[in-house]
Amino acid sequence: MNRLQQSLLLSILTLFIFACSEKQDFSQYDDLSITPSVETSIFFVKVQELLINSATDISFFTQDFNFDAFEEVFFADRLLEGLISYELENTTSKPIQIELQFLDENDVLLDSEVFTLDAAPTALLTREVAYGNSGKSLDILRSTSKVRLNASNFGDNISVSGIPGASVQLRSSAQFMLRLK
Amino acid sequence: MRIRYYIFLLLVLFCASLSAQNKQVLYDFNDIPQALMVNPGMETDFQWYAGVPLLSGISGYAGTNGITVNDIFADDGLDINDKVRGLMINGLTTRDEFSQALKVDLFNGGFRSPYSNIFYSFGAYLEMANILYWPKDYIILAFDGNANQLNTRFNLGDLKTRGSTVAVYHFGINKKINKKLTAGARAKLYSGITDFNSTNNKGYLVNNEGQNNTIATTLSADMQFRNSGFGALSTAEDQGTLANTFVKRAIFGGDLGLGMDLGFTYHLNERTAITGSVLDLGFIYHSGNVYKYNLKGNATIEGIQINVLQELADLNRDFWQDLVDDVEELIPFETTNSAYVTFRPTKLNASIRHDFGAPIGSEEACDCGTDGSNNRTVKYRNGIGGQLFAINRPRGPQVALTGFYLRRFGRFMTIKGTYTIDKFSSTNVGVGINLQAGPVNFYLMGDNLLSYQNIAASNYASFQLGLNIISWGKKK
Repeated sequence: MNRLQQSLLLSILTLFIFACSEKQDFSQYDDLSITPSVETSIFFVKVQELLINSATDISFFTQDFNFDAFEEVFFADRLLEGLISYELENTTSKPIQIELQFLDENDVLLDSEVFTLDAAPTALLTREVAYGNSGKSLDILRSTSKVRLNASNFGDNISVSGIPGASVQLRSSAQFMLRLK
Repeated sequence: MRIRYYIFLLLVLFCASLSAQNKQVLYDFNDIPQALMVNPGMETDFQWYAGVPLLSGISGYAGTNGITVNDIFADDGLDINDKVRGLMINGLTTRDEFSQALKVDLFNGGFRSPYSNIFYSFGAYLEMANILYWPKDYIILAFDGNANQLNTRFNLGDLKTRGSTVAVYHFGINKKINKKLTAGARAKLYSGITDFNSTNNKGYLVNNEGQNNTIATTLSADMQFRNSGFGALSTAEDQGTLANTFVKRAIFGGDLGLGMDLGFTYHLNERTAITGSVLDLGFIYHSGNVYKYNLKGNATIEGIQINVLQELADLNRDFWQDLVDDVEELIPFETTNSAYVTFRPTKLNASIRHDFGAPIGSEEACDCGTDGSNNRTVKYRNGIGGQLFAINRPRGPQVALTGFYLRRFGRFMTIKGTYTIDKFSSTNVGVGINLQAGPVNFYLMGDNLLSYQNIAASNYASFQLGLNIISWGKKK
């Protein structure tokens, strides 16, 4: 082996052996934050004026609905923030009050939202309720197992709205920020 | 904690791509017996060779064409969340891949028949390869979610991945047909140890304005994830028999398949030759320990919907559970165990080589066959040429173009330098060195050498090495 061959051989072997790398800090992985916000509708309730007029009491509708979505372990353990948006529409001829109660599995009241709607014609009522950070406690959502809806008629039960298909409608959707990492 | 980021790194580097390695430095390097594995029709002049078990051929690579380890983990004081968002979430596309392959020769040998003048080669190797294309919309959903994204469709088809661990048993023949043409073929028996793939997914997730409620969420899915072997290994691990089960599946106790390689070398003139090979034309039939997970259907939901007048007779029913049941009925998640077939990632190589300079090795005795043909390949001091590599991948063929220069320093040392352009790099310089000390043969190869100054910033790194005993027969 002549000097050229020796030099080539040495150079190539050196190249393979002495590969370099800038300093890496893999502990940065611990700082990686994955917190998506998911959005979907929650519930929609529609009560027709026909039913309201058929009730003799002020409280014309009371019903409990099972709602286990918030109790799911995957959701409850990862929930960081929540925002529930309500949209209520009253096309009946009477002022209506809707109360939503959030109950735990033992029917203990955790929280409630009350909506008062004037008789039609009236504007759409919208409300956003925040949970976590500066909003209400996240434990309300985590512990909710049931939603109770109370609806009251503060008007008469004779008149009929001039709007076809008159009803009270409650729409709701939610955005939840979850911590995946 | 450390294990978690090692796992993350493995996912990045390992789950990145199931593809086989482009062995552009080894290809047509006819001083090295293992070059027969990338072209069974390579010109050979060995009388026999025996690879050192487990050391005759080791090769591997890891590639990420859109990002590097250094981009994310450099100790640069920047917030990793900003780097991940800027370079990965906003930077990568569904054509970007993470890929990895590792191949280890278990044994490898070859001999020339004194009667038929055919060179036979045989052996077994273990090959592991994985590929993951960047699942862009899944990543956006994971990091940002679907909030405030009305009418944005998240494509479920972005998930494309496959991977396998296979033991391959092979037997090849190589014959110099005439002075111009050398041809070869290799039969392969695959013994699949593990396999996973999810490559033909369709569907989307979208939020639109609802008819009754404010938002209608639609999931349309036609997805499948198949795997084989993992269940058996998991059970074996619980029973403390992981090694036994792995070996058993490697020795025809798992999924079986057949394949073949074909190749040729044809001399246009004394010093110019073209070569070509097609590798892994084959399939594996996965029949034992198979799990197929299917999600197929369409559902649009607007939350719990209660129209009191319509539901008056049944207001006490469990609306939430009914909603869950409806979705599960519309988009059933099913597990089946029926067999499936996967095709091996077929590879194509082609090259043209022009030799120049003085012939070497002419002092060696010719190994003349019974038909008077001469197996001794005339080798020249220099060789220059170009190579093409293509591989069939889940998102279509992937191509690499290589220019090379080969220099022989007697019979002791041969060096081959390459320059390759592919989707990983346009500055891929590789080098291979083959050393022959008597019958002992050692080779070492690597590419993308310019990245060696900061290997963590490399999109691609590969290596190959091997140790053989070679005989060219007795001098006459």
